[in-house]
Amino acid sequence: MQRVAQSSLSTSVAGSYGSFKGGGSGSGSAAQVMVYEQFPAGLRVLVVDDDVTCLRIIEQMLHRCRYNGKLHAEKSYAALTCIMVKLVTTCSEAAVALNHLRERKGCFDVVLSDVHMPDMDGYKLLEHVGLEMDLPVIMMSADGRTSAVMKGIRHGACDYLIKPIREEELKNIWQHVVRKKWNENKELEHSSSLEDKRGNDDAEYASSANEGAEGILKAQKKRGNAKDEDDGELENDDPSTSKKPRVVWSVELHQQFVSAVNQLGLDKAVPKRILELMNVPGLTRENVASHLQKFRLYLKRLSGVAQQQSGVSNTICGPVEPNVKLGSLGRFDIQALAASGQIPPQTLAALHAELLGRPTGNLIPAMDQPALLQALLQGPNHLPIEHGVAFGQPLIKCQSNISKYLQQPKLSSVEDVSSGLGAWTSNNLGTVGPSNNLVGLSVQNSNMLMDILQQQQQESQQQSMLPEPSCLINVQPSCLVVPSQSSANLQAGNNTASVSQNCYFNRSSVIDYSLLSPQSNNSSLNIGEFPNGGLNTTGVLSGYSAPGSISSSVSSSSVNADNSMGRQGQSSSITFSAARQLPGLVPNMHDIQGSYTSKNGEMLDQGPLRNLGFSGKGTCIPSRFAVDEFESPMNNLGHGKLYVENSRVKQEPNVDFMDNTKVGIPILHQFSFNDVASVFTE
Amino acid sequence: MLGLGVDRLRADMNRLLALLFHQGVLDEQFVQLQQLQDESSPNFVCEVVNIYFHESEKLLKNLRGLLMEREFSDYKKMGIHLNQFMGSSSSIGAKRVRNVCVAFRAASEQNNRAGCLRALELLEHEYCYLKNKLHELFHIEQNRVLAAGVRYPMQN
Repeated sequence: MQRVAQSSLSTSVAGSYGSFKGGGSGSGSAAQVMVYEQFPAGLRVLVVDDDVTCLRIIEQMLHRCRYNGKLHAEKSYAALTCIMVKLVTTCSEAAVALNHLRERKGCFDVVLSDVHMPDMDGYKLLEHVGLEMDLPVIMMSADGRTSAVMKGIRHGACDYLIKPIREEELKNIWQHVVRKKWNENKELEHSSSLEDKRGNDDAEYASSANEGAEGILKAQKKRGNAKDEDDGELENDDPSTSKKPRVVWSVELHQQFVSAVNQLGLDKAVPKRILELMNVPGLTRENVASHLQKFRLYLKRLSGVAQQQSGVSNTICGPVEPNVKLGSLGRFDIQALAASGQIPPQTLAALHAELLGRPTGNLIPAMDQPALLQALLQGPNHLPIEHGVAFGQPLIKCQSNISKYLQQPKLSSVEDVSSGLGAWTSNNLGTVGPSNNLVGLSVQNSNMLMDILQQQQQESQQQSMLPEPSCLINVQPSCLVVPSQSSANLQAGNNTASVSQNCYFNRSSVIDYSLLSPQSNNSSLNIGEFPNGGLNTTGVLSGYSAPGSISSSVSSSSVNADNSMGRQGQSSSITFSAARQLPGLVPNMHDIQGSYTSKNGEMLDQGPLRNLGFSGKGTCIPSRFAVDEFESPMNNLGHGKLYVENSRVKQEPNVDFMDNTKVGIPILHQFSFNDVASVFTE
Repeated sequence: MLGLGVDRLRADMNRLLALLFHQGVLDEQFVQLQQLQDESSPNFVCEVVNIYFHESEKLLKNLRGLLMEREFSDYKKMGIHLNQFMGSSSSIGAKRVRNVCVAFRAASEQNNRAGCLRALELLEHEYCYLKNKLHELFHIEQNRVLAAGVRYPMQN
């Protein structure tokens, strides 16, 4: 527990942690003695959120943690320091948070950061912090969709809290600090003994880097192990064991690293050789090894994991000159790239180096595009980087830019690839992968991608996955994404982060939604379009002239449905439509809410469409959830209490169902007040 | 006499709270807020709710501004505003407002402008209702405190 002893945690809580100090080298046993009730006290938390309301609430909660700690501690301890950094919609503010951390590196134990902030992506902050300071970062968000959570995990968040955040959850954040310290400590003890082993391990790393097709889970497991080991070396400033100063991978250092890797070739990049090439005094092979691991994971994350890559020819369009303008690539090249589906690691590393060369600039000037494009088209087999860690600012930008490019809410040239888009979406089915999954492009999509790249969009926080070239799409009639509205389709494809949901949903409920044929492009989707306000969700779907956008709306909304349906969602949708259609009914919204839950079961009388209301839920969820999720709403029908319970659920049952029902707009029937009120009296 | 007033006011407050919970306007999170109020922060709930109102009005204004644009297409920006609105609403326990935000978000993800407009209308309505009720609540609480002459944490 030397680590803890040295951390600010203990220094600020002198008395309580006395048992940890001077525990001797690697005396893991001493570490076990934890004064748990005192532990949260003195924890220094940096909370980053642009929402002042939440900031204030969290601040109060954190204060309360200390307060509770006070009850137990007999010795005085330092006050819990919460520094709230409020992010406003100016770029400088986002940097403030980061600078804050940088300036006071030893002053915080854990960072709580919101995901969606207007001026800075929470993930960027996360990566910065993880890279430079190696603090545990906990993400927060109102968005509790599985895909968003997955993204947070992939970016290395220690935890992901869903708003509204409860005090109990905050009380537990100390565990992340402890866990990290302990892991480092453990590694400390073994680091010297592992030094010899490292030589062999590195060889393994080098070879394993080429194995393609590693599943995410496997990758993450490896990452977990590797990270533990690596962190120990990098962060060891403990005098008792090996005296390795912490290595900060500055941009220059990293550039050296990358060029060394390029020289060797990513496949053959062994820490030992990299170290020799870099020729940096004071750098140890372990430092390089851990950094290499992170780098590989990062690249892998950039390129995506190929689980479904198959039949893609290995013709690689050679390393692309970073300075070649995209335009000159021409469609043919793109197609070739797409067809190849693979990019040599050197290219990717070259891309990386290229990006590094532009620490602050916009990462995607025209000349970077081809390199980027290759990165995007990276065949998943090729770079099994297991853990994505952005290295240095430019890379982070790059990453977001890549995602930006892939995500095109407003493509002008979408029309001509509408079928491609359809394919795109349906191809998402298979690719459940890391956030920036550029699994590959179909030939059709490649054209679009070119357009995308040429447009140079800024600021995309969303990431989408491109279908792999092998699964060339057929936009079947039953396909969820009906290409009548390319923008709508694109939207479906562009669903934020909920790509994985998209996949499942599309796959399983495709047929169900075949009923929704694009009859008109009536954009007034669902919302409030029900004259009689019935509660029948399925009725809505059938009753609606399904505009082309419906299918995508269905897909997108059901994409959100990764969890059980929430009653509340339903009731909200009711009020929603009610408000529009029946102004007089508005005051009775609350009544309807209750009634909806009970009546819902009765409403679902339409056979084929019945599934529509729920199938999205039932099927759009990963299979392991499907059974539970699907049944729970049914079971909960008629339980007026349900939505109260649901509101406590961390995930977003309300939201998901809400989204789903929105599509199949619930139609409010005119209930007599007594009917409705009776439901309330539970 | 004074005591009677206090009790009645407390009863009024509880009744209003119960109604709001029943209606789904508020949920469990609001209770958490109340529990966070203590001697060191005796006005915590009021303070947070006022922050919330202030921020929400800004957000609503932004949302309306966005949707009223002739060439509106920045659904993403709207999504960000919505996200924040959703986060703060759920954090104070404004359940209905949050649910409307969810629907709003879904519409915005489909680039459904008309749907978004309707959602916005509903959102504004819900928000106004919430604001009125919470103001009422605080008013009663204030009177009760005055009548009692002592500050109590809000109790259910």
